[in-house]
Amino acid sequence: MSGSHQAGATVKARAELALNDEFLRKAVKFTTERLRNGKKKASEEHGNWDEWRERGKQIRLHTIAHLDYYLNLFVDNARANGVHVHFANTAEEAVKLTLDIAEHANAKSVVKSKSMVTEELHLNHALESIGVEAIETDLGEYIIQLAGEMPSHIVIPAIHKNRYQIAELLSKEAGYTLPPDTTALAGFVRKKLREKFLEADIGMTGCNFAIAETGSMVLFENEGNARMVSTVPKTQITLMGMERIIPSWEDLEVMATLLPRSATGQKLTMYMSGITGPRRAEDADGPDEMHIIIVDNGRSLQLGDPEFQELLNCIRCGACLNACPVYRHIGGHAYGSTYSGPIGAVLTPSLNKNIAEWDDVANASSLCGACYEACPVKIPLHDMLVYLRRRKVESGNGSKLESIGMQGFATVMGNSSRLGGVLRLGKLGQKLVVRSGVIRTKLGPLKGWNTYRVTPSLPKESFRDRFDTLDQELKQGLKQMDPAMQSRMEQLVQQRKNNGDSGKGGHGHG
Amino acid sequence: MAEPTAHEQWLAKLETESKTRQEQFMNGISQRLGHPRMTEKPQHPFRGAPDFWKAFEWSEDERIRAFTDNFVSVGGHVARLDTMDDAKQFIADKAQEMSAKFVIRQNQPELDALGLENALPDAKVSVWNTDPEQYWRARAAEADFGVVIADHAVAYTGSVTVLSGPNKGRSVSLLPTVLIIIIPVERLKTKLGEVLTSFDEAGREKLPAGIHFITGPSRSSDIENDLTIGVHGPGIVYALLVG
Repeated sequence: MSGSHQAGATVKARAELALNDEFLRKAVKFTTERLRNGKKKASEEHGNWDEWRERGKQIRLHTIAHLDYYLNLFVDNARANGVHVHFANTAEEAVKLTLDIAEHANAKSVVKSKSMVTEELHLNHALESIGVEAIETDLGEYIIQLAGEMPSHIVIPAIHKNRYQIAELLSKEAGYTLPPDTTALAGFVRKKLREKFLEADIGMTGCNFAIAETGSMVLFENEGNARMVSTVPKTQITLMGMERIIPSWEDLEVMATLLPRSATGQKLTMYMSGITGPRRAEDADGPDEMHIIIVDNGRSLQLGDPEFQELLNCIRCGACLNACPVYRHIGGHAYGSTYSGPIGAVLTPSLNKNIAEWDDVANASSLCGACYEACPVKIPLHDMLVYLRRRKVESGNGSKLESIGMQGFATVMGNSSRLGGVLRLGKLGQKLVVRSGVIRTKLGPLKGWNTYRVTPSLPKESFRDRFDTLDQELKQGLKQMDPAMQSRMEQLVQQRKNNGDSGKGGHGHG
Repeated sequence: MAEPTAHEQWLAKLETESKTRQEQFMNGISQRLGHPRMTEKPQHPFRGAPDFWKAFEWSEDERIRAFTDNFVSVGGHVARLDTMDDAKQFIADKAQEMSAKFVIRQNQPELDALGLENALPDAKVSVWNTDPEQYWRARAAEADFGVVIADHAVAYTGSVTVLSGPNKGRSVSLLPTVLIIIIPVERLKTKLGEVLTSFDEAGREKLPAGIHFITGPSRSSDIENDLTIGVHGPGIVYALLVG
């Protein structure tokens, strides 16, 4: 997975690439709608969805608010289970630890199950640099690894590829031609990766949840590759974001209710595994040696920040992507980072603390709030996008032209005769560009707007021009009130007076 | 005691580093959160599922119906059988129908009693972890059938829970092409929470290395949203509800 900003420097440029790709647009639309409808059906069928969301939010809020206690408890318990626990403040540290473990295991190859954290660290390149083959084993991840691309969706990473493209990629790998048939393609991957699982020295996983009270780690998956990776190789390395903690197995019921339904509309993923330490001495499978690397990489920056702390509640379900009208149009690659969609638009600049560099990502949102409605732990993403935009302007990274424009707007709007003058000038000036009632020119300041829309012309007589007349008419109208209405109102006033005379109003205190 | 190997020395060094880092890491978190390091267990008023959910329970008939519906809806197969003898017959019939050559089973007394070895004359039946010289993961990988007994099952999600142990390999429910799970009906609960809380009650020291909830055949929709069954795990899964 190559660097963060690929083809196209801005969201707009990358989105244009996506918008021009007909297949991508259709595939993203189809997938997100399928997942969104699945979630809708599953949450309705389950019932009391808002109460479950609220419960999920409370558990996440509670855990993050006491993270020093729960993370410490998890670490102590995991260590007691025989796990080697490590801490990484930065991506570089996490990579260094991983490479150190791989070298000591004399590893030739690493099989990986899907993990957003390892994407965040660009771990595969690092492993290859010391001569260790890193193999993604999730079907979608395997495909995009062969293509040398980044995931375009948290849950379905290869939605942007069609089966003809996939058949071509896999045929190259196989050395013979595979038909563009889903079952045949998946069958080839099963066979190919079976060998890899059995050969690999290290299995690498992410972590959906970590249970503090028993030091266990929990993985949700459908294919069985995460089970393979944590059962077959001799060494297991788990990379875990420091915020993945929940207190107990009992709390896992709430997460297991929210996560699969929100991600794919399933009641439960085909496999949910709780792994508590390496294999016991008498066991005949499971890893001999197990490492958990706890990764900060910008996460702790959100702690204690009232506007962004709730970001750490995220359970990585992807529901906000599927709900987002912008994501549905431009797809994941346009966001230019590991995490896409609304969560990515907030998470990426927050983790990197370089708002200026990622500012345009925060603008790729219509602030409609669909992401919040979809979020199973009720993260107010649309508010956070506004905070990001504010911080960008406050830090002096706003658009200079926009600031000048806003100042000009304030000057004009602050004084009524100035506004009148400008509007009169505008009406004269627009004669040059108005065609059949609208302005279509893509020159000058209207270029951005008119690329996608048309600007209406200023009317001959505006509301402002007509206001004096309207005001007059209204006042006249009031004077000539319907006699029946007038007598009713007078009666009411009289009544109120009588009540007041009796000494006790409705709000009197004895 | 033998001298620690270079590998053990390296691990010990990592552990010392990790413990120092742990203090810094936790102190950093409490500092950011703006409170002193928490060492007491905090009050957790929202532990587990909402109260209305904890009270919810189905009758045995409802549990069997819901489990069956859910398991079938994701592409699994369910058979309702009266006795373990019926289960033996079912497995023998399937083995013949699919010409199973290699069968691997967990080393559990209930399965010993089943006598699969005699019921499947055409297949080689291996019993997990009975010979320390064997590489058991490879034995499981070559197997056509894996046979396990469920430790728990959940009706509401249509899931089966299997726990690992010296006699119960994780590979047996994962690597074979076909998975057969025998579920004694009294182990079928209504909700996930009933099974999960039992792990809290057991406590850390009593937990096995692997706890696996299996909700049907391995699947993926990663290619053009087209559902594919049996990507890495077993593609054919039979749940036999017995009793």
